[in-house]
Amino acid sequence: MARLIKGGVEDVRTAARGWRWGRRSLVPRSAEAHALPTESSIFPTTWSRRRPAKAVREVVQQAGLRPLFRSQVSPHVEGLDMLDRVRPPVLFVANHASHLDTPLILLSLPDAWRRQTAVAAAADYFFDTWWRAVGSALVFNTFPIERRGGSMAATPGDVLDEGWNLVVYPEGTRSVDGWVRNFRLGAAWLAVEHQVPIVPVAHRGTFAAMPRGQGWPSPGRKPVTVRFGPPLRPAEGESARDFAPRIRAAVATLLDEDRSTWWEARRRAADGAVPDPAGPAVAPWRRVWAQTEPPRPQPGLRRRRAWRR
Amino acid sequence: MSRPGFVLEVDDRTPPLVVHEGEGFRLEGFPLGTQVVYPPESLPGLPDVEEAIQDALLNPEGSEPLPALLRPGMRLTIAFDDLSIPLPPMRKPDIRQRVIEAVLTMAADAGVDDVQLVAANALHRRMTDAELKEIVGERVFRSFHPQGLLYNHDAEDHDNLLHVGMTEQDEDVEINRRAAESDLLIYVNVNLVAMDGGHKSVPIGLASYKSLRHHHNSKTMVRSHSFMDPEKSHLHHSAWRMGRLLAEHLKVFTIETTMNNDVFPSPYDFLLKREWEWGIRDQASMLAVRRGLAVAPSKLRHKMFHDLRAPYGVTGVHAGETEAVHAKTLANVHRQQMVEVQGQSDVLVLGVPYLGPYNVNSVMNPILATCMGLGYYFNSYRGQPVVRRGGAVILYHPVKPDFNQLHHPSYVDFYEEVLAESTDPAVIEAKHEENYATDPWYVHLYRTSHAYHGVHPFYMWYWAAHAMDHVDEVVWVGGDRRAVSRMGFRAASTLSDALEMVTGTVGSSPSLTYLHNPPHLIADVR
Repeated sequence: MARLIKGGVEDVRTAARGWRWGRRSLVPRSAEAHALPTESSIFPTTWSRRRPAKAVREVVQQAGLRPLFRSQVSPHVEGLDMLDRVRPPVLFVANHASHLDTPLILLSLPDAWRRQTAVAAAADYFFDTWWRAVGSALVFNTFPIERRGGSMAATPGDVLDEGWNLVVYPEGTRSVDGWVRNFRLGAAWLAVEHQVPIVPVAHRGTFAAMPRGQGWPSPGRKPVTVRFGPPLRPAEGESARDFAPRIRAAVATLLDEDRSTWWEARRRAADGAVPDPAGPAVAPWRRVWAQTEPPRPQPGLRRRRAWRR
Repeated sequence: MSRPGFVLEVDDRTPPLVVHEGEGFRLEGFPLGTQVVYPPESLPGLPDVEEAIQDALLNPEGSEPLPALLRPGMRLTIAFDDLSIPLPPMRKPDIRQRVIEAVLTMAADAGVDDVQLVAANALHRRMTDAELKEIVGERVFRSFHPQGLLYNHDAEDHDNLLHVGMTEQDEDVEINRRAAESDLLIYVNVNLVAMDGGHKSVPIGLASYKSLRHHHNSKTMVRSHSFMDPEKSHLHHSAWRMGRLLAEHLKVFTIETTMNNDVFPSPYDFLLKREWEWGIRDQASMLAVRRGLAVAPSKLRHKMFHDLRAPYGVTGVHAGETEAVHAKTLANVHRQQMVEVQGQSDVLVLGVPYLGPYNVNSVMNPILATCMGLGYYFNSYRGQPVVRRGGAVILYHPVKPDFNQLHHPSYVDFYEEVLAESTDPAVIEAKHEENYATDPWYVHLYRTSHAYHGVHPFYMWYWAAHAMDHVDEVVWVGGDRRAVSRMGFRAASTLSDALEMVTGTVGSSPSLTYLHNPPHLIADVR
């Protein structure tokens, strides 16, 4: 009998490990070309932007998510004054390196802005099962967008037209090495089409705190920074194709500013010498190595210890 | 839409993979980089099988329509494959029943009175009445069996064998007299693997030992690369010579059918899916089946597996002239089973399941396990073997020295006496085969009981001769040490141990290929 129980436990352990219970199942790389086509299902999220869901979300975010988030990472927010220059709805366009990005941006926003902000999330990732879809829509106010084309219950344009701010990651997916990838045209197109301003957002440290493949932040309350930049508006007659590089350049400047100072970043921007956010063309391990270093606070921003040692 | 087969390379995302081992299976974590060959997914079955049968009989390949071949007063014999295929046995109605019923309907309409049905079991055991009935169906059984017109072929009934002639290579062609003297012989086949069918049906299924010995020998099997590839199989070359000779004396109308890969019914259907695509239900089924097998007494476990009936879909029915029909049949089999594999590996890994052609409703003894692993599975290739010459084969099976005394009496003596002396197929063939083939007691049991012919264990050993000649090392994971050692192999407890044991042959970081079957696959090795 003891052998039977031991065998059963061993089987369950093997299954739990092998099929990643509680986590997203993975397809072996060599089988990706032979994977079953994912069935796109239209998941309605209108309910998550209604009053009852908003009330629940407020409680969950304020009483649960915020303390949990602050217990795991040490956030530092700059540039919120930029929001005084715009009126909602706006598009928050940010680089994307980690699942921490969304809570970092949302919890950094002033409450009034946060309550009226929705997040565009990949339908094939966050809306592939009902419980994941309900969870992310309720907690983060996500709605599904199809990365590879397909039908949707609500388009980002509809959500903007309802007066909601949107968080958009134009890279389409999380960076594999922490550096910024190419920006797709979706955010620029939305801004041009719906005549809404874009607030560039740059954050650092989320890759170091919880990179792709990690289910929980690394211990030690790693520092993460987020910086909001001056709003951008498409110029008269400017196409999405022309506008998109300006958005990426604004995020690059913000990242540079976060690494150095506003003045130095401005000088480099004026000289056209802003470091490429795509990172240096060096060996992959060096790219990852550079990004796994937590951001150092700027000299003037170092917090004073209440109690000197 | 069925997805084609492919070769998986095990990486850090790959879950444990199913490996069959007798009446059970294990979940094995293969080393990173192991190539795993997955068969194509099951092809859709024909939507209307009856219509396909009618179409095949009325529009045959290279022959007049069947009704045109039937006339009153003729002698009509219908031969059909025995219970050794398909594996597992088919869920009712068996395709042979459906075809035979269609043929008999046409024969009745044509006014044919003299009809006999013969199970083409060659030197296999006689099937029981219940087994015959399961294949041909109640209607056919009731109409023919009580009158003695539905029976098993008897390869030792010399009065009812006819020596038809000699091939150009001096091979005796001796088959069932009734079949040979019929005006029309209709052969109904189930072509499960590429080895089956064509001229292998009549000249082998209805033959005697005198005829079979020309191709069922160690020399032929070592030279057949492989016997799953009729073009390169000396076994098939011989059978084709015999078939062509027979065709000069006898009108044969061949009906061949092919099945898809639906070999496991629910709740075992998770075994047909690719492991990383297992949903919660599949994982739960796997755990439940594993626990069920662990607690079940061996008899119940045996019953759980041997009661399985596969929900096969029929992928093709072709009828007419044997070679023209078989070309179409082979194309169907390849469509369902062929997978392209690039290059050979140092080590071939195979899981031997609970069932082979010769232990339906019986026990897979060590010799049959060897035949299944080193015979059928090793030879499931086209082009070149999956493992390089001088490589190693690792098999999974308990290899318990359990024998069914009713079905396999000569196997016991073969295991105890012959293998104790030598395991070299050529040596045992020269020294012992004749004695076993002509032993009156084995002949008696074959004819009157349900025993495989006395020579049958030799053939099973020859089946593995090509593999034994090709590789340097054979290790059985989970195998009974005494039984494995008796057969000249080695046993290991785990895959790691087995890999450690073969380092002397293939080094410490060999390339591995695992053939993920059942269901059946043919590795087209380039």
